[in-house]
Amino acid sequence: MKVKIKSWNSVAIWKWDVPNEEVCGICRVAFDGCCSTCKTPGDDCPLIWGECSHVFHMHCLLRWLATEGSRGQCPMDRKAWVTAK
Amino acid sequence: MYTPQRSALRNLKMRNKNADLVFPSHKPIPDKSVGASKQSGTNAPVKLVIKPLKVKPMLPVNFEDEMWHKLKSAIIAIHNHRPVKESFEELYKACENLCLHNMAPSLYSKLVNECEKHYIAEKRRLDDNPATQEAFLFEINRCWELHCQQMELIRSIFLYLDRTYVLHTPGIASIWDMGIELFRKHILPPSAVRQKTLWGLLSLIKYERGGDSINRPLVNTLINMFSQLNIYTQGFESQFLSETRDYYEEEGERLVEKLSVSNYIQHVSKRLEQEHQRIMNYLEKKTSTPLFKVVEDELIRKHIDTILAKGFSDLMKGDRNSRKNSKSKLEDLEELYDLLQRVNALDRLRAYFGNYIKNTGASIINDPIVNDPKQDVTVIEQLINFKRRMDEFVEVSFSSSYNFDQALKEGFETFINKRQTKPAELLAKFIDKKLKIGNKQTSDSEVESILNDALVLFRYIQGKDVFEGFYKRDFAKRLLMNKCASDDYERSMLFKMKRECGPGYTSNLEQMFKDIHTSREFMKAFYDSRYGDQLREEFKVDLHVNTLTQGSWPSYNPTPLNIPPEVAQCQQIYETFYREKARGKGLKWYNNLAYCVLSAYYPSGNKEFECTSFQAVTLLTFSELPQTELRTFEEIQQATGMETKELVRTLLTLACAKVKLLVKHPKGKDLKPTDKYSVCDDFKFKLFRIRINSVQMEKTMEENEKTVERVFLERHYQVDACAVRIMKMRKSLSFTELISELLGQLKFKAEVPDLKKRIESLIDREYLERGRDDPTIIRYLA
Ligand SMILES: [Zn+2]
Ligand SMILES: [Zn+2]
Ligand SMILES: [Zn+2]
Repeated sequence: MKVKIKSWNSVAIWKWDVPNEEVCGICRVAFDGCCSTCKTPGDDCPLIWGECSHVFHMHCLLRWLATEGSRGQCPMDRKAWVTAK
Repeated sequence: MYTPQRSALRNLKMRNKNADLVFPSHKPIPDKSVGASKQSGTNAPVKLVIKPLKVKPMLPVNFEDEMWHKLKSAIIAIHNHRPVKESFEELYKACENLCLHNMAPSLYSKLVNECEKHYIAEKRRLDDNPATQEAFLFEINRCWELHCQQMELIRSIFLYLDRTYVLHTPGIASIWDMGIELFRKHILPPSAVRQKTLWGLLSLIKYERGGDSINRPLVNTLINMFSQLNIYTQGFESQFLSETRDYYEEEGERLVEKLSVSNYIQHVSKRLEQEHQRIMNYLEKKTSTPLFKVVEDELIRKHIDTILAKGFSDLMKGDRNSRKNSKSKLEDLEELYDLLQRVNALDRLRAYFGNYIKNTGASIINDPIVNDPKQDVTVIEQLINFKRRMDEFVEVSFSSSYNFDQALKEGFETFINKRQTKPAELLAKFIDKKLKIGNKQTSDSEVESILNDALVLFRYIQGKDVFEGFYKRDFAKRLLMNKCASDDYERSMLFKMKRECGPGYTSNLEQMFKDIHTSREFMKAFYDSRYGDQLREEFKVDLHVNTLTQGSWPSYNPTPLNIPPEVAQCQQIYETFYREKARGKGLKWYNNLAYCVLSAYYPSGNKEFECTSFQAVTLLTFSELPQTELRTFEEIQQATGMETKELVRTLLTLACAKVKLLVKHPKGKDLKPTDKYSVCDDFKFKLFRIRINSVQMEKTMEENEKTVERVFLERHYQVDACAVRIMKMRKSLSFTELISELLGQLKFKAEVPDLKKRIESLIDREYLERGRDDPTIIRYLA
């Protein structure tokens, strides 16, 4: 008997591309959880990366940027926030 | 019968007609004084002086006696069925003249006197009559009919009296009523004759109830006589009703024991119809209400419990194989419903119906086959059939009554929820079977109707979260192993659940469905990209990847497996593509959930095997080995990297199942650690493509997903979150208030002791505290 693989049906779970155990600097919730206003993690509560390489829940960052005190800066390093492309 | 008398009466009537005396009162009553003045008025005007008569005009001395004598002999002739000598005109005039001469009072009393004599004589004759009961009734009947005819004649002779003196003198009965009074007083006083008549009537009615035919016109006239004599209620009805009660009391007690319930019900319906006919035929309409009450009391009301206890479940069961039989059961129950409705006892019937559902349902879901994985879903089929039959009863037999429909619903809810998780699990499994490839139902409408039936049961299940857990587990298996019979069926079922429980209920399931579709789109984009080209150039593996969103799917654990290097490389290429396309996302592979198709080459020809990744990896370690080369368990484990438990299961499906791809040495059904394995080159199986038993993978998926425990854990979280939310808002509540708030807000049916435990746990974890003064008060800790 000789056998060869014809087709392979894989299963994978997608994860945010961030180091394990890292939490959102704004809400302190792990990135595989969601921000405080969302109910389910995943595509409905996405992450956002800055050019400064910091990452947050998008909802958390937008709420932060909407406050006057933010002055449009990254809450971690106080550099002007520029979303990475 | 009685011909001579009858013809005499007829003659009398004829003469009456000839004499134009039918309505004598229409003739004007002559006024002598007016006539006199007219005569004198024809001459020229004359001064008219009226002088009082010196002497009153004298009546003949024996005027009154003569007149009366004529009348009396006519009365006697009528009473004795003899022709009357005088013409009616003469008789009428005689009466009129007596009245005009103020002799009406004495005429009236003479008339009464004369009639009374007749009835006294009649009575004597009746008393001496030794006739049998029926002949006696005929005699009374004759007596009454003659009375009516004779009084009619006498009244027409004495009409002037009746219209003047009698009419204007209070306290005097009309001639007709006077006759009735005399008849009642002398012929039918509350005496032996009346009793004899009554018993005669009652026994005729009894014969009729017993099935004999009786002389209904006779009964009708006699009962009518009671009515006319104004003794119907006192002298007939009350005895009739008590006789009826005795009759049906005996019959009810006897037949409820003797007959089957079905026959008894039919008998009672027949009786009610017969009594209705009796009312129509000869009873007064007013007897209807008390009569039906008596019959209903004796035949129904007294025996409700006996009927229901003895026959209700038999009536419900019916014989499912016999269409005709089950139809007649429906009708029997319909009749029972009607009968009990008459006596206002539908709540009793409903209670029996509810209990029947609870007991029968409980016996279905407690049947030992529930624990046999091969047969357990037949329980759901039984429940669906049971529901259909009960619906039919409500619709056909219980006139679609709202109350009975409620009883049905309560019954189902009660028995289904007696077992906490099993019905939910079985229902999910049942639906899984229907939605999986290989299900025998072919038409869309057939599948749709089965899903609707399943949904009906779904509604009754209180643990919707438990059901969702099982449904999700099975849905995941269908999706990942590509076993959905149709996406449309899946969508339809999701839609139904969503409609029942709201969008929150199906959000995870819909995400799962979406993941599978998104994955297909990604695969298409992948094969259109340069990465796809690269994969095709370097490898001959057809790769598909299902990318899942964590949290929406059951939680699986990856278990170790040394996948073939080319598969790993393919996955690598795909992951590079994926990271590029889905920015910020990476992949975690679950190779234990993969399944694949192997091409196999045997000396006898080529085959394809559909199998799980475990089976594929195991088979690959045997590829191109000669049949003589044996491998030990350890050697295989070394090569595949599988856990012992998984490898044992895999080898069982490959070497011990019906289709044997590997040969175990020595042969046998069980695996021993010392067993060795080799390929099987003379593999003979007709089909080209063979699906290797994948129960193993399903098991793996189920084990990873400890559905029930997860559901209960999830409930704890929900209680905690809900309690904290309530307390945050209300700040302070009594223990019982908090519990009732929780019961109102939680989506599943929570048990109070469980809630108490959760509250204690929140106090321990310092989310809440007990009041310092009053420990029954709970306070929110900020
Ligand atoms: Zn956040
Ligand atoms: Zn969010
Ligand atoms: Zn930054």
